[in-house]
Amino acid sequence: MTRPQSADGADATASAGPLQEADDLTELQAIVRRVVGARVGTHPAAEDLVQETLTRVLAAAPSVDPGLLEPYAIVTAKNLVASMWRDDARKRRNQHRAADLRVPESPEAQALLGEERSAMASALGRLDEHERALLIEHELRGTDTRTIAEEEGTTPGAVAARLSRSRARLRVEYVLGLESGDPPTDRCRPVLLALSAADRRRQRELDAATHLFSCDFCGRLSEPLLARGQRQDGVLRIPVAADPDIVKARGSARELAGRLGFSRTDLTVLATAVSELCRNIVRFAGSGELLVELLDEPRPGVRVTARDRGPGIADLEAAMRDGVSTYGGLGLGLPGVRRLMDEFAISSEQGAGTTVTITIWGKDPST
Amino acid sequence: MSILRQGSTLIASVHTALDDSELERFRTDLVAQIGEHRSRGVIIDVAALDVIDSFAALTLRTIAEMARLRGARTVIVGIQPEVAFTMVRLGMGTGSIPTALDLEEGLALLTGGVDDGRRRP
Repeated sequence: MTRPQSADGADATASAGPLQEADDLTELQAIVRRVVGARVGTHPAAEDLVQETLTRVLAAAPSVDPGLLEPYAIVTAKNLVASMWRDDARKRRNQHRAADLRVPESPEAQALLGEERSAMASALGRLDEHERALLIEHELRGTDTRTIAEEEGTTPGAVAARLSRSRARLRVEYVLGLESGDPPTDRCRPVLLALSAADRRRQRELDAATHLFSCDFCGRLSEPLLARGQRQDGVLRIPVAADPDIVKARGSARELAGRLGFSRTDLTVLATAVSELCRNIVRFAGSGELLVELLDEPRPGVRVTARDRGPGIADLEAAMRDGVSTYGGLGLGLPGVRRLMDEFAISSEQGAGTTVTITIWGKDPST
Repeated sequence: MSILRQGSTLIASVHTALDDSELERFRTDLVAQIGEHRSRGVIIDVAALDVIDSFAALTLRTIAEMARLRGARTVIVGIQPEVAFTMVRLGMGTGSIPTALDLEEGLALLTGGVDDGRRRP
């Protein structure tokens, strides 16, 4: 459709000839209109383009050879059309940048923000003077540790350690502030502090894992504290409550241990033992949790702790003997696991639950 | 898992790790199909299982015993080497169920019947 028209335009230019009198504005306008029409069709901007072309041609007329006014007009029109398309394309390409994707702030968010602020204020209030001053100096004023150390006559390392302790305390006080209640036991605060500081030795001293499992308050509060540090350590916490969890748990344990470069046999042994422990949790306690830790001392190893708050085992000695079974199994659950693992420990209290801890060490490839 | 029929033999393959309830369903399905197809032999391919714990081993033994009572012989094929190691350490096995290295050997065992005599209890 547009092709013959454009050919017409070209013919018209040719037949009009540069030598003819082209001063006549109407004639020029007709040519420009044809050229523009051939390129943009019935585009709404067509008439604008024609007028714009004529304006420019007239403005340039004194400096253009009169015989060349017509080709000059045609080139101008072509250029204008081309730049219109180019502008359109650029606008379309960048349109998405103009969108404001931020969700307008809701009243709940305001309330939450207020709550967080008051929790933060009370947390800061509970820190002692030194800790507070240090945090404000470093975090708010941006003073670096070296400057602070020079002022106080210590080393930057010591300042950094104190900062990290203060931050750990602030995190604990902050989650306590959000909870707006005092912890139920004396042990809660030190345990949460050890978790917040990711201090593994202190956690072991306090037996933090057992406390977390038995204290609902700390169990809830520790989630944000643990979520921070979980990724950096080789520690995995897997809740176990139903059959599918057994398969998932042994898969996760295998994957974590796979990082240590364990042999396929060791991985299978570990996965099998985890499977047995998880099954006991599901069968006898209903639910519990599995803690998988990577060890590096004295050599690479994996420790798995399976905990439940079930009825406990009445006769541990009998349960550890081959061939005793309280359900339809082979009676091999626990003794089998003990044979599979390098280390095995079990503790059970009737009515309070059972904890089984197993460890497998990487085999030295040279032996 | 999938259960295929070849002549009078059922070939059951496990494709992914199964949890306990899935194992139980597998057992029920398989035993039902033995009657449906009047099968004389069953091959269970466990090559894809990376863990055979006490419950899985018990299920396999139960299937074999149930199949025997229904007039079919069972062969377990494809136990991975590390799984075999673990089963021995754990102190469980497939009991008196005949086993074979792979599917081909399993079929030969069921159809040949020559060396089968000494494996039966």
